[in-house]
Amino acid sequence: MTTTQEPVAEQAHGTHRMTTAKAVAEGIATEMRRDPSVVYLGEDVGAYGGIFGATGGLLDEFGPSRIIDTPISETAFIGLGIGAAVEGMRPIVEVMFTDFMGVCLDQIYNHMAKIHYESGGNVSVPMVVTMAAGGGYSDAEQHSQCLWGTLAHLPGMKVVVPSNPYDAKGLMISAIRDDGPVVYVFHKGVMGLAWMARNDRAVGDVPDEAYTVPIGKAAVCREGKDVTLVTISRSVHHALDVAERLADEDVSVEVIDLRSLVPLDRPAILASVAKTGRLVVVDEDYQSFGMSGEVVATVTDVDPHLLHAPALRVANPDTPVAYARTLEQAILPMPDRIEAAVRRVLAT
Amino acid sequence: MTDIVFPALSTQRPDAEGVVTRWFVADGERVTTGQLVGEVQVDKVDAEVDAPADGVLRQVVAVDGVARQGEVIGRVDVA
Amino acid sequence: MTTTTPTVPIGTTSLEPDVRRGLYRTMVLIRTYEEAIRREYYADKGPGFDIGKGLVPGEMHLSAGQEPVAAGICAHLTADDAVTATHRPHHLAIAHGVDLDAMTAEIFGRETGLGHGRGGHMHLFDPATHFSCSGIIAEGYPPALGQAFAFARRGSDRVAVAVTGEGAANQGAFHESLNLAALWHLPVVFVVEDNDWGISVPRSASTSVPSNAARAAAYGIPGVRVEDNAVEGVWAAAQTAVARARAGEGPSLVEVHTLRLWGHFEGDAQGYRPDLEGVAGRDPLPTYRAALEADGVLGPTEAETIARAASDRVEAAIAAAKAAPLPDPAHATDYVFA
Repeated sequence: MTTTQEPVAEQAHGTHRMTTAKAVAEGIATEMRRDPSVVYLGEDVGAYGGIFGATGGLLDEFGPSRIIDTPISETAFIGLGIGAAVEGMRPIVEVMFTDFMGVCLDQIYNHMAKIHYESGGNVSVPMVVTMAAGGGYSDAEQHSQCLWGTLAHLPGMKVVVPSNPYDAKGLMISAIRDDGPVVYVFHKGVMGLAWMARNDRAVGDVPDEAYTVPIGKAAVCREGKDVTLVTISRSVHHALDVAERLADEDVSVEVIDLRSLVPLDRPAILASVAKTGRLVVVDEDYQSFGMSGEVVATVTDVDPHLLHAPALRVANPDTPVAYARTLEQAILPMPDRIEAAVRRVLAT
Repeated sequence: MTDIVFPALSTQRPDAEGVVTRWFVADGERVTTGQLVGEVQVDKVDAEVDAPADGVLRQVVAVDGVARQGEVIGRVDVA
Repeated sequence: MTTTTPTVPIGTTSLEPDVRRGLYRTMVLIRTYEEAIRREYYADKGPGFDIGKGLVPGEMHLSAGQEPVAAGICAHLTADDAVTATHRPHHLAIAHGVDLDAMTAEIFGRETGLGHGRGGHMHLFDPATHFSCSGIIAEGYPPALGQAFAFARRGSDRVAVAVTGEGAANQGAFHESLNLAALWHLPVVFVVEDNDWGISVPRSASTSVPSNAARAAAYGIPGVRVEDNAVEGVWAAAQTAVARARAGEGPSLVEVHTLRLWGHFEGDAQGYRPDLEGVAGRDPLPTYRAALEADGVLGPTEAETIARAASDRVEAAIAAAKAAPLPDPAHATDYVFA
């Protein structure tokens, strides 16, 4: 599914153009209209509409008994979500920034993610945990992390990370309908927020009706034959920008938007690398012990000979995200580093 | 023909200047009443702009264009 | 809501003989069970003590001495009420009516256990009685809030009882949970089992106030401390707290000064514990039995009858567990996702 850069003269029938933030809210609203057991809890999710717009307009439609502002007590309200889910509700609970998961991680990984297994499948926890992630606007070390590698590493919870409005709505609906815990991570830079730098890939056509995007299935958002770029979230936008630029030089880049980290669509990665023979992984999370290594291992576990050159990783170094713009732009996997990696893997 | 005006986001400064940050609908496209057509911003506050009528959208102020609260930024031609 | 902490001494309640007999019966079943599990636990750990050996490997946290808490609280609950417990869960599971056979099979790590052997003694989940427990200190409080939240939204008068120890009252989850439950008037009864010891650290070395019941006032909810491990005092305090929650008036805190008769875990030599010699003399069971016999609530041979019935039940559960199949390793990754 490609994202358009400018509004086209005719929109597809039964769709509307909107930001990713609005698409997230629409996904939530769609399920809340259908299922009275869906509620959304978090800090500033009511009148404020969510710090990053994920619940914009929902308080007006559903009222304070279903769009619920919580105190700053993540352990308590994540746990509350777990108990409510155990009793048959489908709560969505927000951790404002992925960086804040430290204060409630026990409830997330030792309770929410493990109860189904510990109970031998007898107790289900059908809840969604939403989190905002990512940097690029100078919010520094404690407010710019992605950390989806950490979440994906811990068994028992699915992890989805949409990059565009269409996937955002579809994955939210899938996440709510899933009978187990799903962590739904949205990069602040894909939300299309008016108070962040303009990103035209954060706006797109979204069908009016309810639809699902399957959890665990990647999207080939740009076909190519020379090199495979596997990535997720905001980096998908940079990857597409680089691919478009390189097309002018007759370099054909295939871009895979993973969309989910758990389950990971390993067949999609393998199929693309089998075709191109060259792999670059782009990940805005810390490089070591995370998503990028897992993608490379996906290939080498099966057949290292698929790779005609060593796989390259373009990720945050194992360094906190600095405040100063010159430093942050060197730490994040920006288009210049992505392009350099593509050129290098082709030259090898 | 119905005007689309820049909404009042700042009540303390009724003439405050802001920016049209997005049009979700192209000039010349059909819209329906209540449809999300644009987004505007005054300082750090942003707001959605919905179509006030059915018809064809005309953009008067382009994206990144500056406008005051209350100014006409677009029109819906009832055609 | 009180600013002082009322205590509920023995003898101020006047319970029906049936109720008293029921409390005694529950406590005997719990004690019989814990003694039998203890026996099974140590049977094959040797030579010496290898924690990973035997039919019941791993850690074991038994609740001998804490029976009055479970009996007194659960007397006011039905299977529709939720209970979240700790790493020391057996007394609450038994008192709340968790199926003894499935629970025992789980402790023995069998396929027929509550969790098909995946959870073990610290992770007992019984959807039929809304019972769960967790090995992470204080973290059983927050999910209880959620169960109460769901109950209240459906217009029922069901309650969630959340149990921790006194050491847990210094963990963030404890304070967050009291605040949020109070703020949202959730039908929760918070129970603190003060058995004096957080493993080897006495309450005086961990807690800035003399009693956690006093902390309830900080959150605007009633707090009561029951002294002397008195089962009838627990019964009375729980009656008030549960009724308050059922009436939609919100949460309360019931702290019980109870007794950890044995170690924190089995294998704990308790060298740090200066009161060890006097511990057996504070056992609540003989005391209560004597009181009931003195009041004529228990006949001269009734205690034996009760003990025998408990033993039969417990031994049957253990025998069934030992005969049950072990989980198949080929299915080790089943149940990760729903």
